[in-house]
Amino acid sequence: MRETEARSPVAIALIIGVLGYAALLFIAPLLAMINGAFAKGLEPLLATFQDPSVIHAFQVTLLLSFAAVVINTLLGLTTAWVLVRHRFRGRNLFDTLVDIPFVFSPVIAGYAMIVLFGRNGWLAPPLFPIVFAFPGILLAKVFVSLPFIIREVQPVLEALTPEPEDAAYTIGASRWTTFRRVVLPEIWTALLYGIVLTFARAIGEFGAVTVISGNIEGYTETATSFVFRALNDRNNTGAYGVSVLLCLFSVVILIAMNALRGRIIHKEP
Amino acid sequence: MSIQLENIHKSYGTQRVVRNVSLHIETGELFVLLGASGSGKSTLLRLIAGLMMPDSGRILLNDRDVTHLSPQQRGTGFVFQNYSLFRHMTVAQNIEFGLSIRRVNRDERERRTAELLDLIGLAGYGERLPAQLSGGQQQRVALARALAYEPNVLLLDEPFGALDVKIRAQLRQSLYEIQRRLGVTTILVTHDQEEAFDIADRIGVIDQGQLLEVGTPASLYQHPKTMFTATFLGTTNLLNAQRNGTSVHIGDAHLPVPPDTDHLSGKSVQLLCRPEEITLFTAPDAANGYVIGRGHVESINFAGSMLRAVIRLQDATQSTVQASLLPADARTLALTVGQEVWVSIGSYHLLSAVEA
Repeated sequence: MRETEARSPVAIALIIGVLGYAALLFIAPLLAMINGAFAKGLEPLLATFQDPSVIHAFQVTLLLSFAAVVINTLLGLTTAWVLVRHRFRGRNLFDTLVDIPFVFSPVIAGYAMIVLFGRNGWLAPPLFPIVFAFPGILLAKVFVSLPFIIREVQPVLEALTPEPEDAAYTIGASRWTTFRRVVLPEIWTALLYGIVLTFARAIGEFGAVTVISGNIEGYTETATSFVFRALNDRNNTGAYGVSVLLCLFSVVILIAMNALRGRIIHKEP
Repeated sequence: MSIQLENIHKSYGTQRVVRNVSLHIETGELFVLLGASGSGKSTLLRLIAGLMMPDSGRILLNDRDVTHLSPQQRGTGFVFQNYSLFRHMTVAQNIEFGLSIRRVNRDERERRTAELLDLIGLAGYGERLPAQLSGGQQQRVALARALAYEPNVLLLDEPFGALDVKIRAQLRQSLYEIQRRLGVTTILVTHDQEEAFDIADRIGVIDQGQLLEVGTPASLYQHPKTMFTATFLGTTNLLNAQRNGTSVHIGDAHLPVPPDTDHLSGKSVQLLCRPEEITLFTAPDAANGYVIGRGHVESINFAGSMLRAVIRLQDATQSTVQASLLPADARTLALTVGQEVWVSIGSYHLLSAVEA
């Protein structure tokens, strides 16, 4: 504890201000949602969770979010590696462009994908549809969660000294073995942190997914899109119920992040 | 396993880091590459390990051309200055790394690891993490890790550079004993001439990417061929002199010519004489060795087991010489600053004055 003397009035005002702001922005909505979900008792809530379109929406959300995590783990690791270990023309520009998903409105991103992959788009798919189908949702989720793993892994990779890898090479380890047994353990915690953030972002994405998926009930509808439709249909219990469940995911993810952050801090020399 | 380098060149951009280096190192030899930082000695070591590729030239390990082979294919053992252990692995896992890559079975791995831990004096430390060891212990583990798979050659890049003086001397001694026991051909890179003298079979002096001279510690110290070697290895007095057919003239003194200096006949030379080869006398007739003149003591400094005296010669050159004296000798002479003394030299060597 840093403060040992009596708190000044300014400090008290600051603390109250910050707490009030947090209460207003995160805690009150959460309480209102829980309250709304249980407003008509437990039965309609249970009915919501048994609704096939809700179950389907969660399946689509979780499965495609998981797939987005897998893709972004592979692509993110590769991108971080290329950015840190290779020098090429346009590297700085590329490094900046990685943040595009952070600054682009997801709705615009979804619209751009329709233009690109739609029936008359430049990259119109010949075999299976992308827009208004699973590949489109996956693409949207991959896009919006792309920077997390790159940005988590990149600084850790940058801080690694080259000697342990050189040592592994002289000892006889191949490049792959060296990556797996020498580099990966060093970046593992940062990678896991990036994965958790990616998963959270992929689950919660609404704008880009809504635009590109078309929200077809029982087919391309995701959990967040379900909430939006339920609100429009004045199905408040459904909207609240699904929201509460999504919030529960977020809380679990928060706990995981907190645990990982502790590990990162403890590992610092 | 011999090491042979033939006309190796390496540049970084426009900077030439290694220039036309050729060298042959015998099987079982402990060779020390000695040079200042930035002289290209570490680059040379990395070239041998395959961590870098030369621009031109050939590298042969045991007469096999490995110039274009990857580090994995060369099978050298490399020890870095900053230990570079795998910090998430235990000491035992670090040492076993090379064996597990070679798919050596578990029993054999454990036996070998225990043997190596014993060799480096860290038996019982196998389960610790590198962060739990001191710098000296970590470097011992790095050595064991490099020796575990019985490499053809052992390459050490300033292995004791990050350690304090006392640990450095201990580790140097254990490295020397281990190298002698295993007989592995070894190149050690250092900027520390004391370290080089202490353990080297032969030393190669490297400066600005060029291998200037190769020889035993004694020959390089007593009969250096270049001014760089003469001044880089230990302290030396350099005095202007003339060599003719039969003698060396320094001031009014005439000294006999040293062997193998005929090529300097009739030329201006630098007479090279180590401080410990200089003796001081109070009277010229008491002197033995070759008296080169008379001078005044300018300063006397304490240097541990020896005293270091600076004498300014009273001849036309007015040059100064440094002498190392035993405290007992200084007492016998009752040496004081300002005192007049006769300076005589024992062994000396000549270098061309042009180069200087």
